[in-house]
Amino acid sequence: MQKNLKNSSPERVQEILDVIMAYARFDFSKKTSIIGNETLDAIGAGVNMLGEELETSTISLKEKEQLLKEIHHRVKNNLQIVSSLLNLQSENILDKRYLDLIIESRNRINSMALVHEMLYSSKDLSKIEIGSYVERLSKGIEHSLSKNDSCVKFIFNIEEGIHFDIDHMIPLGLILNEIISNSYKYAFPDNKGNITIEMRDTEKFYKMTVKDNGIGLKANFDVKRDSNLGMQLIYMLAEQLDGTVEVNGTVGVSYQIIIPH
Amino acid sequence: MATLNPPKTAHDLSVFWTWMGDDGICRTKTKPHAEITLNDAIENSKAVTSLYKDKKFPLLVDSRDIKSMAKEARRHFSTNGRATKINAMGIMVKSPLSRIVGNFFMGLNTPGVPARLFDEEAEAINWLKKFV
Repeated sequence: MQKNLKNSSPERVQEILDVIMAYARFDFSKKTSIIGNETLDAIGAGVNMLGEELETSTISLKEKEQLLKEIHHRVKNNLQIVSSLLNLQSENILDKRYLDLIIESRNRINSMALVHEMLYSSKDLSKIEIGSYVERLSKGIEHSLSKNDSCVKFIFNIEEGIHFDIDHMIPLGLILNEIISNSYKYAFPDNKGNITIEMRDTEKFYKMTVKDNGIGLKANFDVKRDSNLGMQLIYMLAEQLDGTVEVNGTVGVSYQIIIPH
Repeated sequence: MATLNPPKTAHDLSVFWTWMGDDGICRTKTKPHAEITLNDAIENSKAVTSLYKDKKFPLLVDSRDIKSMAKEARRHFSTNGRATKINAMGIMVKSPLSRIVGNFFMGLNTPGVPARLFDEEAEAINWLKKFV
């Protein structure tokens, strides 16, 4: 009776469909039964073989993902080691100028390490959501640069769901690091103020605005003449992204960065 | 003329009969409802290799009675990445099942030697003779 049921077309078709649906869910434990030598048996055999091939590809893909996670993890760990070494080095430095240089370098390294950390922690190994990154990066910089009496607030206005791959995230992270660090260092002589970070995705480009409500740039500030390394980096990295930078320093300092899609 | 009836001298393997034809074409025929595993494939390859003397030869595979072939066996039969004594492969298919297995084998494992599927034995022999 069972065999008759299995041989009947609607039952066989349903069985084959069940197996196809299992494969669609990446469950490759199921196989169709091959009873005779009819067309449905042939289709069933084809589905079984397709499942075997898909299972191999899926395993291979999972192994590659695991490997990529491992690489990001190791890169992040290595960057953190460099950052820790700089920390140790800074303990013996009394000259504030050199100490600042070390902190700047360490924060740049941390901005890159955070990209790798977020990549291996995320489901999608190829992209990072910019909103989460910006918030974590800002906290890191705040932790590194804020003074005891600091009251610098961050205001985030970042469109949800904007993702970037690692090739965009590393330069973007460094750009943000420089701008936020500059605000911390120069904008607020009384250590009080706001830093606002906005990002929008238009149809053709991403528009990122980072501004503070601090003292602004000096009246005769010339980007080419007066830029420090941080500002030069901002321009170089924006160029790497085929983007543009506009700086306005009359009311606080505002950077507008356009990055084409 | 049917040449795919195994002679008494054929290697009688788990799921195959394998022998060398008088025309210099090696034959291997699956037993009825054969479910071919990797071990069966290796056993067959050894039998095929044992027929080698001083010159590579073509192989005619009669898979018309096959029931299934495991993925590892398909990989093995593709001859990719292993030394083989055959220089071409003709595969006989007839039933829907053998046709599916044959097409999967050819489509996803790209044999390392010239290979074709055939409905007619005479056509297969005719093609394989070019490799004798």
